Amino acid sequence: MLHVSDTVVARVAAYHACRVPGVLRLRPDLAQSLASIATRLFPPRDGEHRIPTDGVTAVIEAGRAEISITLVAQWGRNCRDLAEEVQNQVAEHVGAYTGLPATVTITITDVDYTG
Amino acid sequence: MAVNGIHSQPDTAALACGQDAATVWDRAATGRLGTHDRDCPHCRAVADDQRVLAMAIDALNDQAMEPPPSLVDHVMGAVLTELRPADYLPLPTRHGRARIDRIAAAVVLRHAVDQMTALRVRSCRLHLIEPLASPDTHTPTAVWVHISVTARFGTDLFSATARVRQMILTAAEDLLGLPITAVDVDVVDLFADPARGTH
Repeated sequence: MLHVSDTVVARVAAYHACRVPGVLRLRPDLAQSLASIATRLFPPRDGEHRIPTDGVTAVIEAGRAEISITLVAQWGRNCRDLAEEVQNQVAEHVGAYTGLPATVTITITDVDYTG
Repeated sequence: MAVNGIHSQPDTAALACGQDAATVWDRAATGRLGTHDRDCPHCRAVADDQRVLAMAIDALNDQAMEPPPSLVDHVMGAVLTELRPADYLPLPTRHGRARIDRIAAAVVLRHAVDQMTALRVRSCRLHLIEPLASPDTHTPTAVWVHISVTARFGTDLFSATARVRQMILTAAEDLLGLPITAVDVDVVDLFADPARGTH
């Protein structure tokens, strides 16, 4: 039986969430930002390129993945439709890759003109 | 003096020639290598290692630490997000929970009304009339918009405010996907427009 960690689910979710048209970027919290900066300044010694999980948290409980994604939306995109699209895409890809059914919660923190 | 009966070992590493490696290292670092140090292959190896390490350290010291260009924006964005009170409006999606920051939603609506030349928006606030008792996304939500504007002197206030309501409802549906229950428009002041001779 396949077992995957929370981190694996978070990386898959982040990878696919930021590829949905209308998602400008994922919004990390402060801890994730500082960790990201530290990683850029001091790359891992093993040389691996790690897919960032900024803006994504994932918890596997009772055989389900609970994923929370915080993002900045592109101006002009319908926020509700965008949230639904991210939920669908992420749940589908996480399910296909890990075999875990996923529930995806979306938080839109900003709508940005600049994208 | 030995502690607990264990004799402490001197913190040295003797080379095959009998010299202490740390002492040779120190002499190499301070440029005080003796004749033996230079002739002995063991001591010379230690001195070579010291030289290579010193060169590497010097090279690193010469490199200016350039922070990523977006560092400040990155950190400030995260700090502001953390510090700003979490205040969200639920978005009625079919799969899972979704929500949008209340201020971000207000900015979108405000921008729509700002397209009107006869009005200027002073403030725009969104209120959740019936806070969600549960995270059930199918629970209908009622969002009330309160917008205050200044109007150009001479503007027909009745038609202008009706237009504001319509723009708010359209923008909320098209750009946010957020159903709006009511829109209150307050005209809080008038402004003159010299170009139109209204001063």
